[in-house]
Amino acid sequence: MYDFIQGQLVSIAFVIFILGLIFQIFKFFKLTKKKEWSYPPGEVKREKKTAGQWVAFCLASLNGTLWKTDPLLTVVTLVFHVFLILVPIFLLGHNILLDQSWGLSLWSLPESITDILTLVFLICVAFFLGRRLFLSRVRAITTVYDYLILLIVAAPFLTGYFAYHQWFNYDTVMTLHILAGEVMLITIPFTKLGHMLFFFLYRFLIGNEYSFARGERVW
Amino acid sequence: MENSKLGQEMKPVDVKKIKEMLNLKKGKMKRYLSHCAHCSLCAESCFLYMAHHKDPQYMPAYKAIHSLGTLYKKKGKVDRKLLTKMKGIVWRNCVLCGRCYCPIGIHIPSMITFARSILRSQEVYPQPDEVSAESWL
Repeated sequence: MYDFIQGQLVSIAFVIFILGLIFQIFKFFKLTKKKEWSYPPGEVKREKKTAGQWVAFCLASLNGTLWKTDPLLTVVTLVFHVFLILVPIFLLGHNILLDQSWGLSLWSLPESITDILTLVFLICVAFFLGRRLFLSRVRAITTVYDYLILLIVAAPFLTGYFAYHQWFNYDTVMTLHILAGEVMLITIPFTKLGHMLFFFLYRFLIGNEYSFARGERVW
Repeated sequence: MENSKLGQEMKPVDVKKIKEMLNLKKGKMKRYLSHCAHCSLCAESCFLYMAHHKDPQYMPAYKAIHSLGTLYKKKGKVDRKLLTKMKGIVWRNCVLCGRCYCPIGIHIPSMITFARSILRSQEVYPQPDEVSAESWL
């Protein structure tokens, strides 16, 4: 069982994760089609701005975003998502394992730093949990499934933190850590976590008022 | 008029028709519904939410989940009572102004519009002579 979790299941999880994402991208392009028309190109020429004007423009633009309505959440959610991706990729332990098996590794952050980043990440998770529990507007649309998703995301970091500090039984915690990571990878393409991929598809490709790009596809 | 309205209410719900309609846009709507992170960040973008003292039932996500979301969850097997409840959500609680903002990029107005179409197929829509304490006409 341990061998399966630490060996074959890792490959299976990665294959499901990657094939799942490819499947979702394929489905997305099949379901959407290119718009027959698009907005005419902007006729207003952009004025050249000095560096100071550019900074002032960016700061003023922030007033029209979530930064204005909920600055704390904006910071927490940004930190949460950035650390969620960065910490596992640049973790020393993971890169050593990569080096041992494939002979290649990425640049690694010092362990003391990743330890702090993991803690910050877990604080962000606690913040989200608190919002779900105590804010009436979030509670109004929360189901058990939301807590489960939060647990799936938090579990690899929590067990990883325990394993680094060697709390509880190291082997058990490590096995749970690997299992939690695999569960997360497998669930990403098919659950709410799919917004990891669909955020980019929705905001860049679908024609919408809030598109980051021109958005030339329609459903 | 009263009789015809009564007739509408007695008419059984055409589950098959609802299922057919739901399947038409399943790929898009199911993805939208499943990718909603239930973050509630769309709340403040809705003027009705702000005007109703931040009552959660006016939140765009709440409106989409409790109308179209319920229809998909129940696979179209709904009764007229539930459809009437949804009527209030999609017609009274939302005016389809299209100002709702979703960080993930989910287009909420298209979900409400689709829910309206399904309700209309079952002849559930606001009547011109409708008189109620919560009348919006």
